Amino acid sequence: MPLDFWAGWIAVLTVVSLVGLAWVIYGVYFGKRPVGEDEESPTIWDENLREGKHPAPMWWFWTMLASLVFTLVYLILYPGLGSFSGTFHWSQGGELDERLATHESTFGVRRHEIARMDLAVIREDELLMRAAKRVFDRQCAACHGLDAGGQAGMFPNLRDDSWQWGSTPEAIEKSIRDGRHGIMVGWHSVLNRTEASQLTQYTVALASSTPSAHPGKAKYDELCVACHGPDGKGSEALGAPDLTTGTYTYGGGVLAIKETLLYGREGVMPAFGDMLDDMQIRLLVAWLTKGQ
Amino acid sequence: MSVLGIHRKLEENAGLLIFGILIVSSIGGLVQVLPSIFQDELVSPSVETQPYGALALVGRDIYIREGCSTCHSQQVRPLLAEVKRYGPFSSAGESAYDRPFLWGSKRTGPDLHRVGAKYSDAWQRVHLIDPRSVVPKSIMPAYPWLAEKPADPRNTIQTRMRRLQILGHPYTEEQIANAPERVAGKTELDAIVAYLAVLGEAAGLAEGMVH
Repeated sequence: MPLDFWAGWIAVLTVVSLVGLAWVIYGVYFGKRPVGEDEESPTIWDENLREGKHPAPMWWFWTMLASLVFTLVYLILYPGLGSFSGTFHWSQGGELDERLATHESTFGVRRHEIARMDLAVIREDELLMRAAKRVFDRQCAACHGLDAGGQAGMFPNLRDDSWQWGSTPEAIEKSIRDGRHGIMVGWHSVLNRTEASQLTQYTVALASSTPSAHPGKAKYDELCVACHGPDGKGSEALGAPDLTTGTYTYGGGVLAIKETLLYGREGVMPAFGDMLDDMQIRLLVAWLTKGQ
Repeated sequence: MSVLGIHRKLEENAGLLIFGILIVSSIGGLVQVLPSIFQDELVSPSVETQPYGALALVGRDIYIREGCSTCHSQQVRPLLAEVKRYGPFSSAGESAYDRPFLWGSKRTGPDLHRVGAKYSDAWQRVHLIDPRSVVPKSIMPAYPWLAEKPADPRNTIQTRMRRLQILGHPYTEEQIANAPERVAGKTELDAIVAYLAVLGEAAGLAEGMVH
């Protein structure tokens, strides 16, 4: 059935109920009493149950009258009667748009200014850095921890010097905006036990030197070199971690490294480009690069 | 007849009184509920809304079983603070394939209607098993058993999809045929994470989140 029908249905039912209500209220207080009924001769129910015929208290009447008047005024000013939008033309969406516009006109200029501000200037400004930390706490700390030190043995530490996807402000901004998806392939189907142990030892050794004659080097050159490079320096373009720094996202113990190279790892940084505005991202970049 | 006369008649005749009560108490429903059933924009899915995939559907049932909706709502209201915090406000069409809907009315934890894009699956896993390992001050209970139980041990996924199909969820025969394969070998944790990952996917991500 068409919308017009239902709009009319709502309007008619509402008005009819209101009129009915007014009629009942009027009748109870000022209507004629049925024949033979008055306050002096109460009705007797079940032999001795007396029903007094006192009128209801007048303050009830005034309260109901006030409610009725309020309802009428409301239905004229605000939407309620079918498709009639009220003389104020108020709507939930309209109110939100108005508030968003006020928000923009109040804070917009400053926010756009900060979004384009030099990172060094932001880092100097204590207030902005505090704001940046708040953004971090709300948006990033769930994974990276309140101290940005990483957590759960899988979310990267953001306080050290090792940045798998690049430590420049541009690279960090890209990580925040577009997210990252890091995949380390697992090699358990290719490696036998000895090879797995040798490769693990070679990986551990890379952190302190570049061993040339190591039993694990052959496998490294075969399997790992494509992403992590011949000297283990990794590749920021591929998100392949630098293996010479001695910092590991998924744990640096022999067991953890062995598990990584046997079964692989997968890490996802969600894209926040749609969830944060330019100012928030700028603040985060400034805060995250404050040690540089 | 006067109002008091009608009153007297109603009071003396129980059948008439019941009838009168039914009339009066139905008015609210006739005005508020009945027309909305026929209002297309309230009952038809919004453009991006898709019925849940097999694994997400199982996850949704687990979400209901664990009572997540007693602490987490799934409705972003059209208020400045909520739109800024969670993203675009929820529209009725987004719930077209939610039976029952899980809008909820209480937020002990945050609203989850736009949570899909915010966390990685890995985070959801860690967080469900031990919330305080990633959010130290969280008061959310831990759900470690989710990781131990198979998602759909009695293989009822096809029945569930068929029933929803009767209610108008446009599952294709192919989707239903492939469903057991998608759920096989998965844990309850896999299922609920799959469900959380698609929450809010239909939301105006296309039109850009307002934040």
